[in-house]
Order: sequence, then C-alpha cells, then structure tokens
Amino acid sequence: MGFTDQEILETVRMVALETLDIRTTTLGISLFDCADPDLESTCEKVYTKIVHHGRRLVEVAQSISDDYGIPIINKRIAVTPISWIAAASGSHDLVPLARALDAAAKEVGVDYIGGFSSYVHKGFTRADDALFASIPQALAETDHVCSSISLGSTKSGLNMDAIARFSQVVLDTAALTADTGGLGCAKLVCFCNVVEDNPFVAGAHIGVGEAETVLNVGVSGPGVVRSALERLGPDADLLAVAETIKRTAFKITRMGELVGREAASRLGTSFGIVDISLAPTPAVGDSVSDILELMGVDRTGAPGTTAALALLTDAVKKGGAMASSSVGGLSGAFIPVSEDQGMIDAVRDGALSLAKLEAMTTVCSVGLDMVAVPGDTSVDVLTGIIADEMAIGMVNNKTTAVRIIPVPGKGPGETVEWGGLLGTAIVQDPGRFGCSIFHARGGRMPAPIQSYRN
Amino acid sequence: MTRRFLTAEDVRRAAGQEIVVDAETVVTPQALEVARQAGITIRGAAGGYAEPEPDRGPDASRAVTELRQIPEPEGALKGRGLIVTVVGCNRPGVLAEVSAAIAALGGNVNDISQKMVDQYFHMVFVVELAGSSQFGDVKRELEALGCDNDFAVSVMHERVFRFMHRV
Repeated sequence: MGFTDQEILETVRMVALETLDIRTTTLGISLFDCADPDLESTCEKVYTKIVHHGRRLVEVAQSISDDYGIPIINKRIAVTPISWIAAASGSHDLVPLARALDAAAKEVGVDYIGGFSSYVHKGFTRADDALFASIPQALAETDHVCSSISLGSTKSGLNMDAIARFSQVVLDTAALTADTGGLGCAKLVCFCNVVEDNPFVAGAHIGVGEAETVLNVGVSGPGVVRSALERLGPDADLLAVAETIKRTAFKITRMGELVGREAASRLGTSFGIVDISLAPTPAVGDSVSDILELMGVDRTGAPGTTAALALLTDAVKKGGAMASSSVGGLSGAFIPVSEDQGMIDAVRDGALSLAKLEAMTTVCSVGLDMVAVPGDTSVDVLTGIIADEMAIGMVNNKTTAVRIIPVPGKGPGETVEWGGLLGTAIVQDPGRFGCSIFHARGGRMPAPIQSYRN
Repeated sequence: MTRRFLTAEDVRRAAGQEIVVDAETVVTPQALEVARQAGITIRGAAGGYAEPEPDRGPDASRAVTELRQIPEPEGALKGRGLIVTVVGCNRPGVLAEVSAAIAALGGNVNDISQKMVDQYFHMVFVVELAGSSQFGDVKRELEALGCDNDFAVSVMHERVFRFMHRV
C-alpha cells in the first residue's frame, strides 16, 4: 500500500479535527424540455423532472459518506435559469414556478435549489422582466429556492438598467422578509461574469452549454489550511506560505474529485467540476479570516489583508489546478462576512470596513457576500455598491458577485442573527453619500477594451 | 407520439378512456391524479405505466468510463481496502478488541503499525474486506467500538488516501 503513518494520520486529522468536508454535491438538471405554453403544465414538468432525476441524490451522497468516511454536508440541485423555461408560457407571474422548485426540493430532501435565475447582462426578454417582478414574492414564500442574476460581463459590459432594477428587487425582497431580518436576500445574488457550473448557492444554476444532468462538487477546508499554516509557524517566508497552501489545496481537491466521480458514477450521470473554494462556516476554526490573520495581518481588514488574500486565492487555485483537470465553479476563497466568525469579529471591532471588503473582492473568488447594510439604504446607494462590484469583475476578467442584505429596521453597528450556516451579521455603514444622478442615467456601460480579443 | 412528459392538461385533452404512453415518457403526479379521477387508464405499450429509469442524456456514459480510469493498485486491495485508525489512551487489550472486531466483520488485516505519542497510542490497520462485507456497516460497527475517555476509531476508504497523497 505504501502509505506512511504520517500521511494516514494527516488525512484522518483533516476530517476529524479540521472540519474538512465535501461542502456540497450539486446535481445540475437541465429543464429545457419542460417549457410549455401553459404555465401550470410547465410547473408540473419542472417538479416532475427534478424529482425524477434528483430522487436518489441524498441517498447516494449518504452512501458515499458511509463508504469513504468523508462527510458530505449539503445536497443541492441546480437547474436551468427559470426565465428561459418560462418564456414559452408568456406568463407575467412566475411565483408558481418557484413553488414548484420548492416542492421538488422538499420532496427529494435537498437543502437548497438554485436556478430561479435570468441573464440580463445586455437586456431583458419578456420572461426576464416577469422573473424580476416575481423574485421578492418567490423568495418570501419559499424556503429552499435561490435566485441568481447575471448583470454584466467582460464581453458585454454592464447593464446599468438591470443593476438599478436588481437593487430595487433586493430592497423589495428585504421588505417582504422583514420578520426574518431580510433573510430572503440571503437567497438572492447577482453576478458579473457569471459561472455556469457553480455548485454553491445562492448562485447555483446550470448554463446553456451543460449536459442533461451533471454532478458538480464543492469542496471546502479553511480549517485544514489554517492548521497547516499554524504548523508552519510565523517564521516561514511567504513563498513557504504559498507552497503550504498549494499543497493543502491539492489534497483537498483530490478528495473532491474522488467523491464527485464516485457520486456521478453511482447516479449514472456525467461528472462536471470540482469547485475548490475555501468556504467558511460560523464554526470555530472554519474561517478564512483566521487564515489571513495567521498569514500575518493583525486583524482581517487591516492594511496587508488584500495582499494576503491575493496570495491565498492564487495558491488555492494552483493547488487545485494540479489536483484535478475539472476544476471549475468559483474556486478560490470566499469571504461571506456573516458566515465567518473571524470576519464578524473584525467588523465588530471596526477592523473591517465595507470599503476594505470591496478592495478584498478584487482578489477573492467571489465578491461582496453576506454583507448587511441598513434597511433604509436608498436604491441609488445600493445600485452604486453593486455597480462598483460588477465593474471590478468586468475590468479584471473575473467573476464578482453581490449578496447584500438591507436589514429592515436596523442601523449601522446593530447585530442581526440569521442562524445556521448564514450566521450573524453586524450592519455595515455604506456612508452618507450616494450616486443618484449616476443611477438615474441608466443605459449600458460598454465592454472594456480588454474584452476585444477576437 | 414521443413526448417527454404527460401532464394533467394532456390527460384532460385526451379523447377516450385510455392513453398509451411511450417507454420514455414521464407522467406527472398531477396527470396520474386527473386520470384516476376521470377513470382514464394510462399505460405503456407493453402493459401498465411504470416511471422509466432517469435518462441522464448522451454524456452520462462517460461517468462510468471515467471512473474506470482511476488507477487501482496492482493486485493488492482491488478497491476493497479500508484504513482503520485508532487513537486513545493506552491500556491492555485495545489491539485485541479492534482486530477481533475487524475479523468478525469479514476484514483481513494486511498491515498494522502502532506508536505512542505522549500518553496516547496511534494505531493504523490496513484492512482488506471480504466481498460480502458492506463498507458502511463495517464503518458503523468499528466506529461504535470507541467511547469517551478510552479510544476513538475512524474508518476511511483506502482510495481517499491514495487520491490525497499520490499523484
């Protein structure tokens, strides 16, 4: 066999003590064949197809967990953006489709289903218009449905009209879910350079080039990287830090690849990608912020944080790329503020501001994630925040996202508890100034010069 | 007519007391209900309707062939290998207890090592399972052996280690 005791104990320790796990196995299901001129029939088909294909997902994930001894935390389903499927019906109210998705998710026992989505980075179809109008009610009414919207790309520029409309949708969703601290917005995300095989919610959906069904895996392990850096100690130079992260990411990704292929094989579907993302949870030690502080910044958000995060994200990607030829999704490091105990503390202590967070998103793998702002934030301020983040993605050829929660009735510095994986947030201050004229201009921001590559 | 789904609306529109569906057609629960209420029989060409196996599309065949490319070790464990690790306080009889349990569950110990670190022992067993034993059952039984303040058992598939530590 040829394993050393050290290798064996390292792996066992990763799982037992360092919260290494498969964060999600996400079954992508194409819904193209569910389009129907009658919305009710569309809903029936959508429900039936998801249950038909997804029925064994939870059981298969459990069997792999049993056989391999690796915890698989979440089982999820991602579907074709619903606006594409609903278009044939001509309906103006797509909430029934959200109900069908929710019912299917409950029936197969997954925790989230992603794909109440549309792509409007250049313009709206009638179905996109209907979807936007339906999002607040859909998210307020359902428990498991997640919604994601493509608002821009490097290739097409930014659709500022769509960004403004999306901002209003965020505010409306927060208002409709005011009794849970605006929780509906935790299931709503927008993207620049959207990723079409993302297994993580809220952005999970499958794009137009995907197979009939596809199994994607998201693997995580901030705790493992953290422990490896702890063992490395403070005296090693940054090259050694990068090397340690890379080696650790390699090992984590290999495990993801093994589980993904095995799950695909047992389900009889094609294997898509491994998303190697350091995705923190509120659990102690499972924190990206801790990693940054172990790398050497006093507190997350202090000067040096962006540089440290750049090194971390890059090293994770490099280790992942060596480990699997199927690395995809978002792959890198997530910085969801409310889901990371270290970041919550950093915000509470005044170390991590919204402005610094935005700077960090230029080098992390996603964007402004799980950020709470006051419930009375105006729509033009929200538009400005989202447009800034989308512009970062557009110009730098990278995926950026915004998942922002205006918490009704709360002001800067106040705390909101969402519970579970979504954690605790301190409401952050977006400042006193907005961008009302910029917001009112609307139109499209043209694609940057670096997009002309043909 | 070939169709992917038969919906309640399709049933309402159908003339006659019987609908014959294609072998690949999936009938929605709503359609079954409407048919039941209206006394309409839905059946396949060869008999009663049964939900078909999920058709995962043309790419699905890759799932199986790709998995075969994972190199299994020559001869040795043939995908039936387990790594059992035991960590805990040292006392007489632990090794005997664990190895007896492994044997009772149809496992053959191919390799074993043990060392003490401070007051704790670390034991590693490389086990080959008999064809009739189920991984999940063996894992549950072995992990139930340990208890607080004594020792903890962890069972993982040998492939996990191969994937993680070998390029």
